[in-house]
Amino acid sequence: MKEQFSARMLRVHFGEDDRWQGKPLHEAILAKCKELGIAEAIVFRGIEGYGSATRIRHASYWRLSKDAPIQMTIIDTEERIAMLLPHLDAMVEEGLVATSTVEVIRYVRTPATAQT
Amino acid sequence: MLNAGKAIKVSIYLSDGSTHHGVPVYSSILDFLFFRGVAGATVFKGVAGFGADHHMHSANLVEISDRLPIKIEFIETREKVESILGKLEEMAGSGLIEMQETTVAKPAQVSKPSKPVAPEHLKIEGNAQMMRIFISEEDRWKDKPLHEALVAAMRANDIAGVTVYRGILGYGAHGRIHKDKSLLSSHRGSIMLSAIDTAEKLRAFLPLVDQMVEAGLVVFSDVDIIKYAYRALDVEAAAEQTKPGTVSE
Repeated sequence: MKEQFSARMLRVHFGEDDRWQGKPLHEAILAKCKELGIAEAIVFRGIEGYGSATRIRHASYWRLSKDAPIQMTIIDTEERIAMLLPHLDAMVEEGLVATSTVEVIRYVRTPATAQT
Repeated sequence: MLNAGKAIKVSIYLSDGSTHHGVPVYSSILDFLFFRGVAGATVFKGVAGFGADHHMHSANLVEISDRLPIKIEFIETREKVESILGKLEEMAGSGLIEMQETTVAKPAQVSKPSKPVAPEHLKIEGNAQMMRIFISEEDRWKDKPLHEALVAAMRANDIAGVTVYRGILGYGAHGRIHKDKSLLSSHRGSIMLSAIDTAEKLRAFLPLVDQMVEAGLVVFSDVDIIKYAYRALDVEAAAEQTKPGTVSE
């Protein structure tokens, strides 16, 4: 099954060490997205970068540094994203949110194909 | 450019050891001919011979001779030969220069269009689209990981470029939370492919995505591209494709 619609894409940048109520921030945001029924959310760990705190974030296997840069890409309709934004305001203490308007094609497994 | 018909063949006989301004004479003559635009020249190394001094030069492994005979041969039009002959006589020094009338039956063809010596750094700007495809790492297409199959399909369809990202956490159209356990080599990560090309080419590729992606999300966004490239043979064609205005609406 295929559906096509216009949507918003958020890219949220912060650090892997950032936490929300004792949980890693990216896990907390992902859980919130799931709770709100957001269509797509994915977390990427960068290998190097710097952000609003201007410290160089660096993921190193040798030093096991945990403060790697994190980028979350979140995609859904304008309305759903609008529902998420107040939560992001509360949760992201230090970071960057970039938004863009995108065109989306969504493929969903129909029950018939899911069984095969 | 040498055409078929009457021409002059010039042979210059030298000995290997002679130098002109510190470099072997044959090498400086060859450079001179090259920069004066002579159609082509060949240097031959003789195995044995003697010259005006009637001294025998031969290649002998026991006593390595560095004074073997050298012959430079080139064919050019009479006018060209006459224009460079004075300098050649000076450079050849004690060597012998011979000229004979010859007939060019078939001029040599330039085998490849000449390339600039140093690659030129190019910057191409224009509008394009970015296509992101969100799938799961365990999705497959004909017994191959779907993301690999998509990259292969994009390459086959001449899509300008694609990068595959593995998320450390995520969920999507399938609704399952994917957690990366790379140390346990779990194959349940979220995958994002990011491809950039003109709107037309990405749209033309879409029917293939329709076939290959069972569950997932395809996201299009407009981007401005700045492409850095080295000047290649087909650069004119590439510049034509990415010229603003021909790229996207």
